[in-house]
Parts: sequence; structure tokens; C-alpha cells
Amino acid sequence: MRPMRRMVQGGARSVAASVRKHKPDYQILLYMWLIMMIGLVIIYAIGPQRANVLNNAYGTDYYDSTYFFIKQTVSLAVALLAFALATVTPYQLLLKHAGKILGFGFAACVLLFLFGNVVHIDSIAQCSLGACRWFTLGPLGSLQPAEFVKFGLLLFAAGFLGARATQGLINDRDKTLIPLGVIVAIALVFIIGIQKDMGTGIAVIAILAAMLLMAGLKYRVWLALGGIMVLVGIAFILIAPHRLERVTTFFSGDSSNVDDAGAYHIAHAKIAIGSGGLTGVGIGNSVQATGYLPEAINDSVFAIMGETFGFVGLVGILGLFTALLMRLLKVSDHLVDIRLKLIVAGVFGWLASHVVLNVGAMIGIIPLTGITLPLLSFGGTSMVFIAAALGLSFQLSRYTAFGSKLESSSDNARQQPAWAARRSTRGRTGSKP
Amino acid sequence: MQLAFQKGSRSRVLGGLLLIMMAIFVVRLFYLQIVMHDDYVAQAMQEQVKPLTIPAKRGLIYAMDGDKPIQLVMNQTVYTLFVDPATVTKPEQVLETIRKIAGGNLRPNLDKLIAKKDTRYQILGTKLTRQQAEMIKKEELKGVGFQEVSQRVYPEGGLAAQTLGFVNAEGKGQYGVEEALHDRLVGTDGLLKSVTDISGVPLTIGSGNINRPAKDGENVVLTIDRNVQAKAERALAEGLKNTGAKEGSVIVMDPQNGHVMAMANLPSYRPAEFTKVTDAAAFNNATVGVPYEAGSVIKTLTVATGLDQRAIRPDSTYVNTDKIKVGDREIGNATKGQTGTITMQKALDYSLNTGMVTIAQRLGDGTINQQARNTMYEYFHDRFGLGEPTGIELLGEARGNVTKSDQPGAAVQYATMSFGQGMNVTMTQVISAFCSAINGGTYYRPTVVAGTLASDKTTFSPTNPDVLRKNVISQEASSQLRSMVHEAREKFHGAKDKAGYEVGGKTGTSQTLKDGRYVDEQTIGSYLGYGAGGDGTPRYVIMVQVSGKDMNLEGGKHAMPVFTDISNWMIDYLKLQPKG
Repeated sequence: MRPMRRMVQGGARSVAASVRKHKPDYQILLYMWLIMMIGLVIIYAIGPQRANVLNNAYGTDYYDSTYFFIKQTVSLAVALLAFALATVTPYQLLLKHAGKILGFGFAACVLLFLFGNVVHIDSIAQCSLGACRWFTLGPLGSLQPAEFVKFGLLLFAAGFLGARATQGLINDRDKTLIPLGVIVAIALVFIIGIQKDMGTGIAVIAILAAMLLMAGLKYRVWLALGGIMVLVGIAFILIAPHRLERVTTFFSGDSSNVDDAGAYHIAHAKIAIGSGGLTGVGIGNSVQATGYLPEAINDSVFAIMGETFGFVGLVGILGLFTALLMRLLKVSDHLVDIRLKLIVAGVFGWLASHVVLNVGAMIGIIPLTGITLPLLSFGGTSMVFIAAALGLSFQLSRYTAFGSKLESSSDNARQQPAWAARRSTRGRTGSKP
Repeated sequence: MQLAFQKGSRSRVLGGLLLIMMAIFVVRLFYLQIVMHDDYVAQAMQEQVKPLTIPAKRGLIYAMDGDKPIQLVMNQTVYTLFVDPATVTKPEQVLETIRKIAGGNLRPNLDKLIAKKDTRYQILGTKLTRQQAEMIKKEELKGVGFQEVSQRVYPEGGLAAQTLGFVNAEGKGQYGVEEALHDRLVGTDGLLKSVTDISGVPLTIGSGNINRPAKDGENVVLTIDRNVQAKAERALAEGLKNTGAKEGSVIVMDPQNGHVMAMANLPSYRPAEFTKVTDAAAFNNATVGVPYEAGSVIKTLTVATGLDQRAIRPDSTYVNTDKIKVGDREIGNATKGQTGTITMQKALDYSLNTGMVTIAQRLGDGTINQQARNTMYEYFHDRFGLGEPTGIELLGEARGNVTKSDQPGAAVQYATMSFGQGMNVTMTQVISAFCSAINGGTYYRPTVVAGTLASDKTTFSPTNPDVLRKNVISQEASSQLRSMVHEAREKFHGAKDKAGYEVGGKTGTSQTLKDGRYVDEQTIGSYLGYGAGGDGTPRYVIMVQVSGKDMNLEGGKHAMPVFTDISNWMIDYLKLQPKG
């Protein structure tokens, strides 16, 4: 940790500018594409059943059997567009306007709060059980302001923490931690407090936790902040009955009463996964998707994939996510500009927290938070923003430095980092001469 | 993937955390999907697979119409209306609607039934038609449901009621062949076990689906000929009307195969209205269920025994003094005055008890000794099947009782048995025995089942006659007996029969036990006889029995006219040829 701080202090920014732009890390795009395609296959398979369930429930024939497949295809197209856009939009521009994006996210949250919780205009604010999370955009679908907040916060915190790290003030309580704490607190009040979206809230925390760690925050402080977050989390759980229920459901284990909606959800997720066995029941043969498992197409898609593709399939999917995440981590690791390093670390935290929270809940080792499985779950906003975040990471992967470059970049550090010397001797790391 | 992280980099911490998390996930997935797989499959099956019972159709019952089967009962689907009081939200609306549509089918105290909120099932109405059920369904009343119930319909009304029996509200056969052949008629319900979606709609996906179609019950064709049955019922009713007798039974049997062509009992009932019957006795088939002392009709069997044992011939003589001593008891004749040396034919003609006792004595050493009794028991019980159930496919067949030959005081009892007293037998036992005695000696198990009709309702598979015993008496003895019985009828009643046809018969008048004592003022009149075709083959056997409380009914006077009526009709119906 110590050498890193020195290095950062030594003026990484100038080095970053000196790193020549090179080919991006296409593996990021590859893994993302593979995961998206698997998601499309599963939506194609269970879409008709989902449509059938909804038509039965509402007594309509509104949902065509290809409804979900077509919508998901459109979402994918939009997500790829977002990816491309984030790839070509210069990161400098994004960093420069990070505050505005975050501000826009906050403003949207305020607006949503006004429409949803104050004047109750259902045609604009989409609410369920008192939690208003989406704007209705008519034929364009819906928009979740929390995703803007996430994205804005990612950029803003990268700029802010990057600057503080450069100044060597990353552990400074008054100049770094408290201002950041205030912004995060505002975000959480909106997301968890008003929109009652624990999952997204945790994702925000995870984004910042990954960034703070990479920025060189002392482990002691990092763990202390984590402890505070846990306490705050417990407080949030205790004040919201539905969260308390989920947690009690979780801790009461398999023997819990299935009358309770949360317990029912988890029990059926486990039935779906467990009945998949080694190789699954095959595409189109999922029975749990015919109405037994709630949110089969959205939050529970992992369980349906477990039923469909079995252990082999799920391990493969987890493998793809792991590969993508490790790729992000590697990019972050090799970025010289601390701000860029932090952006990719944040994206890692974002993606990882979604995967861990969703999968963990489905297999019954983490309480249910109602969070999507990125790139796989049906639903536009989440997919578009994660694709944009990945697109940004893809863009930044062009600025990584390896071996000698890193070595030379840190030559003004008073203490030569041991790794820099050794790295140069390794060949197959995609290093650029 | 190569973990190309820089040494000391915090990426290693994050990467490590991620990999640990993923490892935990994989272990957990291994536990859920591999270790616990069977358990979760079982859980999934339990909620996904819903068994649906496919009710089997109850087999139909056919009678014969000449040589073709004709339907005697039909099935009709009716609906039972029930409510789940716990989920009914508008009881007044429910009651108003169902009263309007199905007022006549409802149970009393509906408002109380529907108010039983702590119950989940209350039947409000029964036997609603499909139309009524559809009309009520259209109202979409909450908590109201229907159950399909199959109900028997009887196009022939009360025809062969006791032979048929009926089907109760629970679908169980009661009395008659409906109960006796219930297992064959009821079939096996099918089972549809299918993976369904959450609303119970069967899906085509999933393994282990069971689709076992319902096996409908057999269509049973009775030996009952609807025309003969109708004639027998008419003749019996008329006979009762003419004589004033209260109860009566008739069996018409084909002696060549044991087929019961008609089996009538009065008073009777209509199976469709079984709920209105107040005295359950109307359900009973007296011809199989009520043993009695058959009386003089048994004399035909005593003569048959004597002939077969060559103890007598038709022209054997004995000295009739109108009384005969057996042990310390003196037995007399009902008909007096035919004294002197007379033939056995005459003893049968006049139904003389002394003649029958003489035959019994001649079976032994001139007294009814052990040998005589053993022979009689062998014939009556072992060969003619008296005192044992015949095995006819009807419920509640009585055994009756024939005393064993080695009992104390058996000599006197066996003397009375020779003319039909001192033993209890059913009409079915007697007519079956008589059939075997006149048909050449073959004892067929009496039967009401002629065969089955395939589900196409045209392919008839007849059941082979069930020969229980052959040569119960010799061919020669049988033809001698037939001519004796024919002569016995012809002598006094020949003029009543269609000219040129061989008809034989024997009267019977049995005393009944009243307060443990034989009395003369309450007697049962019976008649047992046959008709033969031109070649001398017996083609039908008819047994008639009439009775009434405190009524003195005689075979010749009260039962025989019914026999004559049916017999003459049978000659036409069977298109018998006159004697050549």
C-alpha cells in the first residue's frame, strides 16, 4: 500500500498521458456478448410461458408468445448501443461532467419522489407497494433513476477519489471521507429510503467499497466503514417490515413456512435449481417458469437457468461472470491514471455486487434483495446501464500499461515497487512494447 | 485466465474475494443440484404433478330381446351442486339464483347450509341437468361448484327390478346384479398424472407423466328376455289379482343351459325411484333369497331319484291305504280315496305322500334306513344341489337347509322330505334341480348373465353355460320322469295347454310354520312344470309361487293358472313345433 501511495503522489496523471492508446481488451466484449446471448436464449424459452401466466392472471391475451423475446432483443440492441456509445465517448468528457450526471440522477430521484409519493401520478411514476422506482416512458419502456445515480456516482467518485489519492489525502477524514459520505448518504436516502431498493443501495455501496479499496484507503478505515454500513443496513432492515421478513425468512432456513412470499420465492428458486441436476431439464422444459417461481424472467432467471441447464450450465455462467470480472480487475490493475483505475474498479464492484447478491439469494445463502442478474435478467434499464459501464471499461482498457511502461511511469517514486521490476520479465500478459 | 495482477496490488484482494465467493457458490450449487437433486425433484413433482381422476363409465346392463341384446339401463350425467361456505361472498345472490334455475332439485334449509362458514363443502342440490348447471355456472357465483354424477336411467321402468337392483347416490350398486356384479360393472377409474402449470393446466413437458385411461365397466347382457320377463310379470300380477294372493314369484328358465329367462317378484318397485321404497323387502329377490318348504313339487325329484336308482319304474305299484307308518309316526295323504294297488304314476298324478314315502323306503331295505337316507341325501343335496347356494349371480342367495342323513330322527324327516317338507330350499334351487332332472341329467349353474357386449355395443360375447354336474340322473330316468310329469299334468289339466304340445307340471301346496307349528290355514301354492318342443326336448321350465299372510293358497288352484298362462305364451314365443 505504501509504495502505491507514493507512486500516486508522484504524479500518475502525467504518466497516463504518456501511455499510448492501444487495442482494447476484446475479452470484455466477448464475455459480455456470451452472457447476453445465454440470457436471450433463456428468455426465448420461457417467454411464452411467462406470457401465458400473465395472460391467465389478467384474463387477457395481451402478451404474445414472442413478446418477451422481442422486448429482450430490443433491450439488447439498446444495451449494445449504450456499450458502443460509452466506448466512443471520451472518458475525459464523462469525468468532466460526472457531477452533472450525478446531479441529473438526484434530480430524477426527486422528481420521481414528487410524482410517485407526493402527487401520485401513476402514469409517470411506476410504483408497487409504496416503492416508486421507475419512470414510465410510454412505448420506450421505463427508466430507473437509481441507475443514473449509480453511473453518476461511479464517475464522480472516481474523479473525486482520484484527486484525493493524488493529493495523498485518501485517508483524510474531513477532506475525503465525510464529503463522500454525505453524497453516498443522499444517494442511499433516495434509493433505499424512498425507493426501498435495498439491492441497488448495496450495489452503490459495493461500487464505492471497491473504489476506496483500490484508491488505497487504509484497511482499518475500510473495514470500519464496512462495519458502519452493516450497522446502517441493519437499521434499514429493522425499520422496513418487508426487509425484516426477508431476513427472518432467510435465517429460518429450509423449514420456513411457504405461505410467506419471500420464503416461497426462495424455496421455489431452490426447487428450480435443485431439480435441474447435473445437466438440467433442457431448453423449453422449465416447469417452474410456468408460474411457480415468482419473477422467473427477471430476478429469478438464474434459478430458471439452473433448472434448464443444470449444474454444468450454472458453473459455466458463473465462470463467464468470473472471467469478465477478473478481466475488469486486470484492466483496473494496469491502468496508470488513478481515476480510470477507480472507474473500472467501480464497475467491478457494480457487476460483482449484482451477481453475488442475485445468485446468493437464489441459492439461499444471502437474504433476498430483489436485484437483477446483470445482462441476463429481462429488463431494459439495468441492462443498458451495465452495458454502458462495461463499454466505458472497454474504452479504458486501451490505456493500460504493462511492464516497462509501468516501471518507467513510477521512476520518480522514491521507492521502486517490487512488482514493477518483476512484471517486465513476464511475456504473456498482453503487454505493449 | 491468467491472473496478471501486480504484486501487492489491491486487485488481488478483490479478485481473491470474488474467487472465494464463486467457490462458495459452486459448492452450494453442487450441494443443491447434485447432492440434493433427488430431493428437489421430489419437491418439484409434489407441487407440479397433479393427479386427475378420469371416472370410468359404469357398464350398461342389457336384456335379451329374442336373440339380440337390448339395453335395460342407461347412464345419464347429472350434477351435484355444492358450495364452499367459507368462500361464498354473496349468499343471498347464490340462493336466489339457484332457486330460480333449479328450484326443484334443492335441499331444504339452504340458508342454514350456506351459512356454515366453518365448513368447506355443503351440497345444496342434486340431479341438476347439464342445462341447469350451465346456467348457474354462467352467473359466476363465488364459492359455487358442481360435481358430475352418473345416474342410471331405466327406460323399461320396473322391469326385472329385483334382478337389476339399483345404483345408489354414491355410485354403489345395491341389490340384484348391480350389487352382485358391481366389480365388473364399475370399471377402473383412469388416472391422469401430469405436470401442470401453477393453475393446474397439464403441460406437455416433464417426465413421469401417467396417462392411464379409464377402463369402463363391462356391459353385461342378462339372460333375462325382456319379452318373457314382461309376460311373466303381467301373468303374475294377473294371477295375484285373480286369486287375491299378496306375494308371488315366477322363474322361467331354459333347461338346456340354466339361463334365467324371467325372474319376477311381486310386490316390486321401480329402480329409478328406489328412494321412495318404504319396505326394503321389495328390493329382495325372493326367488333366490327366501328359503321355504317347497312341498309337493319336490315329489318330481323323489320320483327322479327312485327311477335313477331303479327302485321304481313308472308302472311300479304299491298298496295305498292313504296312510303309511314311519317309525312311530303315521303319514297321511292330502288327497284321499285312491286306495288299493296303484302305480307310481298315479301316486304322482294325485300327489300321494304314501307313494313318495314308499319310494324312499324302496331306496333302502323297505324302511328308510341309513342306506335309503344316504341315497336321498346324495341325490337331493349332492346331485340336485338342494340346501346349497346355486351360485347364481344375484346378491343375497340363501343356502336353505337339507338335514344330513345321519341325524337322530332322520327316518321321519327323510319321509317328509320325500314330499317336500322338512327341508328349506329356494325356488332357484328347486327349478335348477328340476331342469337337470328333465334335461337328461345335466345340472347347469343357474345364471342371469348371458355374456358381455363390447363397447361398440354390437359385438356380443356369450358366456358358456356352466355345467356343474353331469348325469345327475340317467338319460333313461330323465325321459321316464318327463313323461310321468307330462302325464300328471295332462290327466287333469291337459285341456288348458295348447293342443299338440308336450307340457308337464306338478303342483305344490306347502304348509307354513306359524309360531313354530305347521298350519293348514296359511299355505304357499306353487307349480313347477316344463314345455317341450316337437322333438321332445324341454325348452322352458316355469316355476310359480304365490303366498299371502293368513291365506290358504293351493298349487293347483292359485299357482297353476299363472303357469298355464306363461306356458302357452312361451310356446308361441319360442315358436315350438307340435309333437310330430
